[in-house]
Amino acid sequence: MEGINLRGGYALMRATWLSWMQYRSFFFILAFGWMIPPLAALFVWLAAVDSGSLAGFTRGSFVAYYLILILVNQITYAQSNWTLGDVIREGNLNFWLTRPIPGFWNVLASEMAGKAVYLLFVIPVTALLAIVLKPELETSWIQVLLFLFSIILAWMLRFLWGFWLASLAFWTSRADGLLALQDGLVFLLSGMVAPLALLPAGVSLAARILPFHAMIGSPVEILIGSIPLNQTGFALGIQFAWVVTTYLICRIVWHSGLRRYAAVGG
Amino acid sequence: MDNYLIQVDALTKYYRVPERGEGLKAAIRHLTHPMFTEVPAINDVSFRIEPGEVIGLIGPNGAGKTTILKILGGLLYPTAGTVQVSGFTPWRRKPEFLRKISMVLGNKSQLIWDIPALDTLRVLGEIYNIPTAQYEQQIKMLVELLNMDDLLRRPVRNLSLGERMKCELAAGLLHAPEILFLDEPTLGLDFSTQNRLRTFISEYNHRTGATIILTSHYLGDITALCSRVLLLHEGKILYDGQLNGLAARLAPYKLLRITLATTDLQEVLDNLPAGVELLDQMENVLSIRVARNKTAQVTSDVLKVLPVADLSVEDPPLEAVIDKVYQGGTQWKE
Repeated sequence: MEGINLRGGYALMRATWLSWMQYRSFFFILAFGWMIPPLAALFVWLAAVDSGSLAGFTRGSFVAYYLILILVNQITYAQSNWTLGDVIREGNLNFWLTRPIPGFWNVLASEMAGKAVYLLFVIPVTALLAIVLKPELETSWIQVLLFLFSIILAWMLRFLWGFWLASLAFWTSRADGLLALQDGLVFLLSGMVAPLALLPAGVSLAARILPFHAMIGSPVEILIGSIPLNQTGFALGIQFAWVVTTYLICRIVWHSGLRRYAAVGG
Repeated sequence: MDNYLIQVDALTKYYRVPERGEGLKAAIRHLTHPMFTEVPAINDVSFRIEPGEVIGLIGPNGAGKTTILKILGGLLYPTAGTVQVSGFTPWRRKPEFLRKISMVLGNKSQLIWDIPALDTLRVLGEIYNIPTAQYEQQIKMLVELLNMDDLLRRPVRNLSLGERMKCELAAGLLHAPEILFLDEPTLGLDFSTQNRLRTFISEYNHRTGATIILTSHYLGDITALCSRVLLLHEGKILYDGQLNGLAARLAPYKLLRITLATTDLQEVLDNLPAGVELLDQMENVLSIRVARNKTAQVTSDVLKVLPVADLSVEDPPLEAVIDKVYQGGTQWKE
């Protein structure tokens, strides 16, 4: 991750976006697939809450929670296993390494390009769902600002987390098991299967400290107010600490991976 | 004398390869006690390359050609030895070094698959920070030299292998590298496309003075392009010099093809001068093998003794000579 080349980075993003627009429909289907688990959870909770309330969540606030969660999930989703991981596995890393721009930019470029493609699908679909399901949301400008800050941290964390997992391709040709494990933990602990307030106290506490809720649930709860303003600092602090930790893990894994690559060849 | 572009001294590269036996038990033991063997890929190799040379790395599969290319290009670091390429240590991969080199791999693509090659070129133009005027000029030259017209505007996935290879070369040469590494550039191409690419590479070398180092299994690439070859075998350099010197080193004999003015061959065969070996006989044409240093003597004896209608002296075919090295069957004389 040495050196900065913004013009090159932007050009990479643009070209990757052009290339991925050729696969619009594939990305739309992919994005639709990512919406299914939170939508399924939403419908279960809507049935359970009926017209009453559960741990402070009413019908309308469940809808708001899950629609925002769907957006946050899509915006923060990391694709590096397919971009970086496959490049390492297929030996195309050689081209990245012989160009005067850090390979990191290629991963970032596909990340941005991918988002620009599937958000074209996700935003209208979420808006449509909002019209049908009628969310109830009470928020303030300060919460919106903190939400924006939190979603940036969430995206950085998820991107870096995906980056180090994808870098495992330097050592093992398939890390599918590990990826399935992390997807499972994300589903259970990020606030996707249920808002943390509805989980047992111990699990809920663990989730607030582990990185998975910091990837998705934290910005959602900050926006809808289920993390009260006076606890927002703690949530943002956890996110920030995980970003820094994961960045350090990334550096170590990436650089020792590159050393190994240069020792054994692609 | 310090005007070498590339200096390689005592370069050695070992690969560490995991070793394990067959079966479940061995697989489990490998998890707890991994065993590795060190496999030599290059062993104590030294050479120098001057600016503007076109060098061919030849040798059988596994001889170490690609390993050398990857070390020079900064993709691998060696086990021992020193390498200087244009004043840089390649595997540190300094941006200034990377701007001077380019690597084109015959079996890999650096083009983005679903959009026209021109879009990839534009990205490369930004990455290498090429000023617009220079970018346009370089593209114009490459399109002209490669004779590629509108290829750059078609999506890469719709190009044939030969057309794609032209675009790969254009992508590799866009930033006008000082040194070009080509790994099997004509792999899988038809004969006439191979020829056109060779013409291009040679023309490019003449026009720009770029240094070109290529590996190839096609001797045609080597004879058409390379002023000098490095013949590698089992990680060592067997020969470093001009291609036509290679035949003399490897095959210390020449072939005489004699067409006789008589059909009474029995008498001729009885009268063959000393020191020749009959290789082949078709009707009234004889092929004989003669030690290289006796060629003049034997030729004059043949003309004296035999009724000769036509006679030619030839070097043995290079393929046959190199094949002997590849098979390991040559008695190499240092």
